[in-house]
Amino acid sequence: MPDFQLIAAQLLNGVALGSILALVALGLTIIFGLLGFVNFAHGALFTIGAYAGWLTYTKTGSFVAGIGAALVSCFIVGIVIERILIRLYYHRPKEDQILVTFGLSIVLVEIMRAIFTGKSQLLSTPSWGSGVVNLAGIFYPQYRLEVIAIVGVTLVVIYFLIYKTRIGLVVRAGIDDALIVNILGIDVKRTFLLVFALGAALAGLSGIIDGPLLAVNPDMGTDVLIQSFVVIVIGGVGSFGGAVLGGLIAGEIISIATVFVPDYAQVLLYVAMAAVLILRPQGLLGVEGRA
Amino acid sequence: MIAVRSRGSRALVALGLMAVFLVAFPFVMPLIGGDVSLATRVLVLGLFGLGVDLIFGFTGLLSFGQAAFFGTGAVVTAYLLREHLVPNTLVGLALGTVAAAIAGIVVGSQSLRQVGVYFAMLTIAFSQLFFFLENAPLKAFTGGESGLPNVPRAAIPLGFTTLDFSSALGTYAFIAIFFFLSYMLMRRIIASPYGAVLGAILENPERAAAVGHDVLRYKLIAFTIAAAYAGLAGGLLGVFQGFVGPDAFSIDQSGQIIVMTVIGGAGTLVGPLVGAFIWLFLQSSLQSVDALAGVWKLILGIVFVLLITGFRRGVVGGIITFLRRRKKPLEADIATDAA
Repeated sequence: MPDFQLIAAQLLNGVALGSILALVALGLTIIFGLLGFVNFAHGALFTIGAYAGWLTYTKTGSFVAGIGAALVSCFIVGIVIERILIRLYYHRPKEDQILVTFGLSIVLVEIMRAIFTGKSQLLSTPSWGSGVVNLAGIFYPQYRLEVIAIVGVTLVVIYFLIYKTRIGLVVRAGIDDALIVNILGIDVKRTFLLVFALGAALAGLSGIIDGPLLAVNPDMGTDVLIQSFVVIVIGGVGSFGGAVLGGLIAGEIISIATVFVPDYAQVLLYVAMAAVLILRPQGLLGVEGRA
Repeated sequence: MIAVRSRGSRALVALGLMAVFLVAFPFVMPLIGGDVSLATRVLVLGLFGLGVDLIFGFTGLLSFGQAAFFGTGAVVTAYLLREHLVPNTLVGLALGTVAAAIAGIVVGSQSLRQVGVYFAMLTIAFSQLFFFLENAPLKAFTGGESGLPNVPRAAIPLGFTTLDFSSALGTYAFIAIFFFLSYMLMRRIIASPYGAVLGAILENPERAAAVGHDVLRYKLIAFTIAAAYAGLAGGLLGVFQGFVGPDAFSIDQSGQIIVMTVIGGAGTLVGPLVGAFIWLFLQSSLQSVDALAGVWKLILGIVFVLLITGFRRGVVGGIITFLRRRKKPLEADIATDAA
């Protein structure tokens, strides 16, 4: 029987993993909510963020600069792909939108592979996160606590942006009825662009802060993307709270199951998803008819 | 009456052309820089793609989880053959196909209740479930990460002699027969009243439901047929390669078959075959050029994005449109003459 300390540490690991999944899922769900668009290239943006951050961090020695680089590069890439490609697809069938973002993810991942080779790069934890913290007898890596804190702060900022600012008001109105918002004289297209780029930046941020916990390689985004799909299905599409709750549930399932039934850790995640689908198809915090 | 006869003769022409192509293909391949094994692989993925085409090209269901069924067929067939639990290759393939079809019913009955984006995400998630089940809990049967090596080649004992397909060309012929029969069957399915209802669902699911069709049931049947095709293709892959690895279940495999089908032309039955040929041929020829070895997938990715953006019906769809446009004036002339 695993001892208490181990389980407590795994619970915290679950929160750390879950908070990163929540951040990735939040970017996806914000884009989906407003644009009605599931961005299959979100995992590739996660990878771009990790590489931009890794490159900057190794060149400058500053992890904070790495985070900045991840945010800025993904924001810019988000703007570029929205202008060139995504906006051509707003009025095309959902299947075309999925296909084009899937194709885009192949292109972005392969560009990363061409530039950085397929080799895994080690992204070391920043100097301010390399220690171990004693939490009532449990020795826990400091960096993971900082990941939870960074995600927590980001979630609060995004929450305020969406629910307490004018831009957020336009975004939420746009989610309800983009046509009416447009008729009211507000440039919805520009809001679309901004939201897409913001979602991309969130993916990039997740990539860099997850970097020290994973290895940085061109394919790192694939698993994260699929797990964040599961998060969205569990939490409810288009729901802010759903992304956070779903992320934490997914993180805990994986972390706890890894201790007791390691072979089933990933399997249980998908079983949980299937259970939610059967019992509550709109997701735990989703609104019916909003898919 | 005339219309029926002309449709029947057109089908015969199509099947005849396909037969000629299948016979010539392994001999043409070496002339353009490929080989028999590349030709075999094209047929395996072309067969897999026939099922994907049925659900995506003809019904409008975009599943990103077809590898679950490809892998199921591959592992079940390979396991039965390796352990000598079945008398011959055919029984192994049949059981693998049935297993994949059952998996299709299970996954389809859960995921088809959703549409569009939700459906695509669910199929991915279910295929990941299969991937991880295969990888750890079931590794006693599947070999886990190391896969199942030494899958026996195709052989059919007849009592007095054994039909042996173990040579490269023999394996090709074995798989080509399956491809031909599956192609013929799929043509029949598409041309049947059942296929017509799928067409109605593709055009407008609400309307199809409104005129009284049980849309969910039709979709589930199509999904199950596609899973069976994937399973048969998976089983043949093992027989051909002599090995089944966990990558048969991978998300890359699911994505690749979608990309192939769309590049070739979804909604045309030869599209998947053409797409598989383009993908595998470009992969092998670009990889042999040093400067391009690292970027073949990038090139194919760009081609894919451009095709969806500008040329939605793929290569075969584009050719058909082009030919129809050229034929139109002639047909009009004939019609005028007849009148």
